[in-house]
Amino acid sequence: MSVLSFREATLPNGLRVIAEINPEAKSVALGYFVRTGSRDELAGEEGISHFLEHMVFKGTERRSAWDVNREFDEMGAKYNAFTNEELTVFYGAVLPEFAPRLLDLLSDLMRPAIREEEFETERKVILEEIALYRDRPHFVLYERAQAAYFGRHPLAKPVLGTPESIARMTRSQMVSYHARRYVPGNMTLAFAGNLDWEEMLTLAEQMTRGWAQGKAPRNHPSFTPKPRKVREPYDKASQAYGVFMAPGYAASAVERYAARVLADVLGDPDNGRLFWRLVDRGLVETATAFHHEFEELGVYMVYVQGDPSNEAEVSQRIAEELQQLESDGVQQGELERAKLKTATSLVFAGETPLSRLFYLGLGYSYTGRYEALDTVRRWVMHFETFHLNELLEQRPFTRALEYWLVPPGDA
Amino acid sequence: MLETWLWKGAGPRSAHAFADALDALGVRRQSGAGVEYTTFSASLLPEGFAAALELYADLLMRPHLPDDAFESVRALALQELAALEDQPPRKLLTRLRREAFASPHGQPVEGERETLERMTPEALREEFQRRYGARGSILAVAGGVDPDEVIRLAQKHFGAWDGEAPEAPAVRLTKPHSFHLKQDTEQAQIGLFYKDVPPGHYDFYASRLASAVLSGGMSSRLFTELREKRGLVYAVSASPGSVKGFGYLTAYAGTMPDRAKETLRVLQQEVERLAEGVSREELDRAKVGVRAELVLSGESSRARAGALARDLFILDRARGLEEVEAEVMDVTLERINTFLASRPYRDPWIGTLGPEGVTA
Repeated sequence: MSVLSFREATLPNGLRVIAEINPEAKSVALGYFVRTGSRDELAGEEGISHFLEHMVFKGTERRSAWDVNREFDEMGAKYNAFTNEELTVFYGAVLPEFAPRLLDLLSDLMRPAIREEEFETERKVILEEIALYRDRPHFVLYERAQAAYFGRHPLAKPVLGTPESIARMTRSQMVSYHARRYVPGNMTLAFAGNLDWEEMLTLAEQMTRGWAQGKAPRNHPSFTPKPRKVREPYDKASQAYGVFMAPGYAASAVERYAARVLADVLGDPDNGRLFWRLVDRGLVETATAFHHEFEELGVYMVYVQGDPSNEAEVSQRIAEELQQLESDGVQQGELERAKLKTATSLVFAGETPLSRLFYLGLGYSYTGRYEALDTVRRWVMHFETFHLNELLEQRPFTRALEYWLVPPGDA
Repeated sequence: MLETWLWKGAGPRSAHAFADALDALGVRRQSGAGVEYTTFSASLLPEGFAAALELYADLLMRPHLPDDAFESVRALALQELAALEDQPPRKLLTRLRREAFASPHGQPVEGERETLERMTPEALREEFQRRYGARGSILAVAGGVDPDEVIRLAQKHFGAWDGEAPEAPAVRLTKPHSFHLKQDTEQAQIGLFYKDVPPGHYDFYASRLASAVLSGGMSSRLFTELREKRGLVYAVSASPGSVKGFGYLTAYAGTMPDRAKETLRVLQQEVERLAEGVSREELDRAKVGVRAELVLSGESSRARAGALARDLFILDRARGLEEVEAEVMDVTLERINTFLASRPYRDPWIGTLGPEGVTA
């Protein structure tokens, strides 16, 4: 691991460039991490961040949509993009010799042409994507539970938008959203793997020189969770889908790693408390828990999926487990298990340049700091039960939202 | 069911103690039954290899298969089967295989309700005796461990394992036909199943490259024609698949019901247009894509172990990445186009799922 080095620079236009260099890697991954997502959308813009992510691949002044697709494939790039509430990320991994070309392509894409004709074609694709997710009840559950949990907070907005908001969206709305959010000071360019830092930095500076600067502020309204239980029928669900959401820690909070280990104690899919209380007994097919971090707050999530006729008992057992965890705390043995599991998964997260890129870029986008995986791994291994029990003193699960999506006949 | 049951205690340990022992080594595990084999995999740091191998020997050779866990194992299997209803693409593709294969290769991995309900602990233990033996089983290891040490430890922990390999059934197909599954979904699901060449065949890599031309990257034909030009779909793909001695190509698209007819027509047309050949540029892009994938997957030891095991199962020998790469590079434009003209993809089994039937 000692071969790794970290470099960072801020270009005159405000773009931050970071790299974790591993001269022994066989590939290089790079990506633009844009600090924008559904929470930054104004009324009437619902789903525009994600729609724009699609339009980014539809060409620039220099390239047609076909050129873009063809060039990625000529490099044999493994590439894609995703949008969530807070970030839009464009990334690719290639053999080291293609790094300059991939950088040129991705940088050019950050200034998309957004042509009217392609906007109309892509609108149909987005509507298909929304339809696809409506046929997946677990996705609908997350979307609705998140809307219910966050209420009037901007994190309540659906990332994909709605069929109505997408149908009404105009090209000029998108052009102005892009100008407002894709300013270099709101973006990070990250590299991981085998690369020449000086060469990449020089190229990045040349390619982004003309980008207009500006500020892209974000609202952080206050938020207080309202504990309650909601049950909703869904005509496309044959199984029962349940989620518990409770207040956790922000993506830059020191407590976040302890919170992740705590979630693992509860919901490790092979050996967590919920596995033995629910899956091992055959009551549900899946029971997991994780800690999800946003910019200024975080959420513990418990997810279950299974036979609708067990719903009441499952709900009761989860409530008991959460209560017991809060009152009795974490035991030494399960802490050791969860620590080692978390630490090992950090090692595997470091196996390929592409997975390192996500870790590096996401972490830096939130904290503005580089945390080497190895450092985090050692840190996690030092946790004692009191680190986790301290988090439980806040009694997060007494403030949980419980949300069920159930087949129509069962509601 | 058997795969789930195996985890309910093995060797000297209860289910809970077994899970704790794996976790003490930081083992990330995955297991699952497939069409022809069941896989048990572990990813962990090299220090724990010997101890983990011993645990997996217990799991495969000395599982308790306890009566008192049987009903929850059945309940899980029934839920997994029922959950298929909530995954329309998977439901359709599962059914498509079943319609195409007349041999047991078409049997759904999730099983059937009646079979699961009738299963008894005794019958399942008999299946364990019949199927879990040294012959027919493969151990593949990749990563930072010494190969000699791997052999020595395998000998130590699995050396006493015996048992015959269960006989593999021959592949038989039905006659190509169409079917429709009625379900009130937002999107109609469309699946095509074509005969293809098997792994080990002279034209195997020509066929893999042809499927990359169809569906490799975003410049591939299906993505370009269905999504980029027409906006018919979000998801469209063609994936090669194989069972021992037989290869097939599955094409998939999901779209709103009112555009399903056009989507099916374009999808089928694009697959079958391969018979007219591919261009040099298309072949070059497909080759670069397949090679890059080989290099990138070579960086993940878990992916390597999986590929080695599959090689051994299908071809009876494991290959290095260089050998696979050389086979890919050997496919010339003439060779792929001769293959496509002489063995055209046509006469598919056609499956659709949605509120109403679809015909091209």
